[in-house]
Amino acid sequence: MGGLGLNAMGIEYGTYLLIGGIFGLLLTGLPLAFVTGLVALIFTFGWFGPNALPLITSRVYGFITEYSLVAVPMFVFMASLLDRSGIAKDLFNSMRILAGRLPGGVAVQTLVVAFLLAAMSGIIGGEIVLLGLLALPQMLRLGYDRSIAIGVVCAGGSLGTMIPPSIVLIIYGLIASVSIADTFAAAVTPGTILMLSYVAYVLFRCLRNPELGPPLPERDRLPAKERLVVIATGLFWPVIIIGIVLGTIYGGIASVTEAAAMGVVGVLLAIVVRGEFSPKLLQQSVQHTIDTCGMIIWIGVGAAILVGVYNLMGGNRFVSATILGLDAAPWVIIVVMMVILGVLGLFLDWIGIAMLALPIFVPIIVQLGYDPVWFGVLFAINMQVSFLSPPFGPAAFYLKGVAPKEISLQNIFMALIPFICIQVAVLALIIAFPEVSMWILR
Amino acid sequence: MTNEPSLPDAVEPLKDEPNSGDPSEDGPITGLDRLIGLASRAIAWLVFIATAISVYEVFMRYALNSPTSWVHETTVFLISVIFALGGPIALARNKHIRVRILYDLAGPRMRWVLDIVNGVLTLVFTFGMTYAAWLMFFTASHNPLGEWQLERSGTSWNPPFPAITKGVILLAVAIMLVQALMHLFHTLTHWPRQTPAQQGGR
Amino acid sequence: AAEYSWTFQTSETNGEPQFEIKKEWAQNVKTMSGGRIEIEILPVNAVVPANQTLDAVAAGILQGHLTDPSYFSGKDPAFGMIGNLVGAWGDPLEFLEYMKYNGGDEIYNELVEPYGLHLIGSAATGLESLPSSKPIRSVDDLKGLKLRAPEGMVYDIFSKAGATPVNLPGSEVYTSLEKGVIDAADYTVFATNQAQGLHSFAKYPAYPGFHSLPMVSVSINKQIWDGLPDDLKKILEVSVDSMAYEMVAKLKQRDIKAVAEARKDPNIEIIDLPAEERAKFRNIARQEWEVWAKKNAITQKYYDSVTAYLKENGMM
Ligand code: NA
Ligand code: NA
Repeated sequence: MGGLGLNAMGIEYGTYLLIGGIFGLLLTGLPLAFVTGLVALIFTFGWFGPNALPLITSRVYGFITEYSLVAVPMFVFMASLLDRSGIAKDLFNSMRILAGRLPGGVAVQTLVVAFLLAAMSGIIGGEIVLLGLLALPQMLRLGYDRSIAIGVVCAGGSLGTMIPPSIVLIIYGLIASVSIADTFAAAVTPGTILMLSYVAYVLFRCLRNPELGPPLPERDRLPAKERLVVIATGLFWPVIIIGIVLGTIYGGIASVTEAAAMGVVGVLLAIVVRGEFSPKLLQQSVQHTIDTCGMIIWIGVGAAILVGVYNLMGGNRFVSATILGLDAAPWVIIVVMMVILGVLGLFLDWIGIAMLALPIFVPIIVQLGYDPVWFGVLFAINMQVSFLSPPFGPAAFYLKGVAPKEISLQNIFMALIPFICIQVAVLALIIAFPEVSMWILR
Repeated sequence: MTNEPSLPDAVEPLKDEPNSGDPSEDGPITGLDRLIGLASRAIAWLVFIATAISVYEVFMRYALNSPTSWVHETTVFLISVIFALGGPIALARNKHIRVRILYDLAGPRMRWVLDIVNGVLTLVFTFGMTYAAWLMFFTASHNPLGEWQLERSGTSWNPPFPAITKGVILLAVAIMLVQALMHLFHTLTHWPRQTPAQQGGR
Repeated sequence: AAEYSWTFQTSETNGEPQFEIKKEWAQNVKTMSGGRIEIEILPVNAVVPANQTLDAVAAGILQGHLTDPSYFSGKDPAFGMIGNLVGAWGDPLEFLEYMKYNGGDEIYNELVEPYGLHLIGSAATGLESLPSSKPIRSVDDLKGLKLRAPEGMVYDIFSKAGATPVNLPGSEVYTSLEKGVIDAADYTVFATNQAQGLHSFAKYPAYPGFHSLPMVSVSINKQIWDGLPDDLKKILEVSVDSMAYEMVAKLKQRDIKAVAEARKDPNIEIIDLPAEERAKFRNIARQEWEVWAKKNAITQKYYDSVTAYLKENGMM
């Protein structure tokens, strides 16, 4: 096949040009979905010629018919419904009472909710939209620091792939041919450590400066009995809804994806019982769902196209040769792999990274005598970083889609820096002390 | 019962309707965009249908022990239609996420130039996509002899969803191509002399 | 550089043993051709989704694929029928013998050449195992069993046998089987199931399987094939045959190892369906073959050819 002769430059310079092209186009303010898509289109055409162009739409077809993504609109739908009912407001009012005099208490509870959501879903996206619609405005309403609120939503909402069930770990298990149950088990402790580290960070910041997470003012404190009523009212429906979703998954009633649909029914039921239901509410919710989905899915579409073209260009051979060319101590190789995953995480979505890097990395890991289950955990933590890291941080995009207008993408990425640092620290911890994750399998 | 009144309502939950404040962030700018916005009101219900049939499948399988042969495929199909058409819908509402660093630094004229650059790039992208989608749809709707025959899913139920989905992808990118053309035309005919707020975003 | 530099996509992820065997095949082709042919083997979804490789090879985006033709059942039911004639084969060698020496390959080429592809040769992955959380000791035990079945004939045949097929994508199998959403799954070979830890909750694997034996079609863009000199054509054909037997032997070896490991676990009971039950299942399957035979000229031709072969060899 003849392209425009772009292939003459070879894969190494091709890689640099591709990355450079993405950065250049990003700066023009072109929508992200079109940036990756256009770069992929130019490389397909220039490298392979016009006959290869159906590759692009074939990737689009593969991406939008991916079953695991079905949960995304369901979660967004759930979030839109909750947002339009009084359930969210009641929940956060009771969380505020629960937090009492503890500065940052609502943010801490949001992280706990995020942890519960993580056990209900195997992907990221839906949870961030959910927390972004519910928790973010409420925390801002309660006077919480914007950066802390954003970080809690994005970092907490990303935990879905760290805590079982997790599509990232299932895909890893398939590629590395290791027990999925083992990777699930090994990821639980690091996932919990991540969550607790976020909690510790929030408390550290808010205890030093209570203005970042204002505690309940003295004048709003209620007598014990009233307090109980407020807490019970606010928690009642959320507990029922979470119970329905978790119950259907762990009771073997529904698959993880179907459970999201069950959650929607739970929310609808709550809204009807609370007397808040109206056709208009439903119309607005479905409308909001399709708007949000269009925006977040097309970013994934662009990345999916890019991965296909890069693989066809021989990108995986290039990355493989680069690693194998290293002559260094095993732990250095691990660190180099982490850096490569981190760099890939700047641009690609996790599925692209998994397809590109894992086939190369896992055999090397096994050859070096490391446990591939442990490496799976490292991969999962690395993907946590990739969800947040700019310029392509899906978590940030999901949040941007539903955040109040005045919050820009730059605001979000700035707010995520401390949380990325925490993730990297936990990653270093698990590299240095594998037992922290692996003890559970002994 | 609750202590709501004492809370500052600094941030209201998001509304569906584009907020009236900054036209550069929201709101259709061409007739086509408005039309797409109207159509999306109907298309959006697909998500409700997908949810409802998923729950129906769970009920049939768990309670009646007779799962359907059609729900999973239909759900994936409906959601993929939402995803595909979400592209032009988000474009009509200017909801696609972009990095605005240069944009925020630039003055009205520089923004106008950036808008034209973006318009041309979007045009190139959507044109390439439309061409590719056409090739894909043609293959999916014709057998090797060149006769009309829809690609099916190959399952027991065997609906022609693959061909229809590919047709919807073609529709989505073709609409985006027309949108891109109209946006570019709009930008070219609106040389910046009004307030900067009206120039941004496109 | 090589005279011919091609990219072939497979239907496995990189870790799976089939993928390694396919990579060895590419290496063999390079060695045998003295470096004139170089083939890059890519994992599933690397360039296009698994169900789109036929189009991609036809368009010349990929030069070939090594994949299960069942993915293309939606284009022509014959792909599903040849790709996995459920219940027909007791051993992958029977299938290979039929394809290579009794007309199977020719029928497949008749099907695929109009699409712009040429079948170099057939291989098979080995009889799949059926991971199940409920014991399947007879065909009767299939009654009411919630069983995941993907595209192709599997769904209807299990339905006819009294099971309750659930149409669920592969990525949901693990969690759904673990939590009990489904009871059993048409999934993959024993060794892979064991490695993934499926048997810790699907404690009654049916092995050797009685249902599924997916073909691996090794195909190349027809235009490229037609332009190849005879020596290279022969190298490709012979190397694919050799890979086919290697795949049978290596996967079997791997399964045997995994079976031995599973037997050590007192919680796992490997069930080998008795011969008369297998015959019962095959008879149910045959009724469905007849239904499929009527779908078009090629499915009819394949049905006639396979049943003739099975009868000649006393297998039917
Ligand atoms: Na999870
Ligand atoms: Na990133």
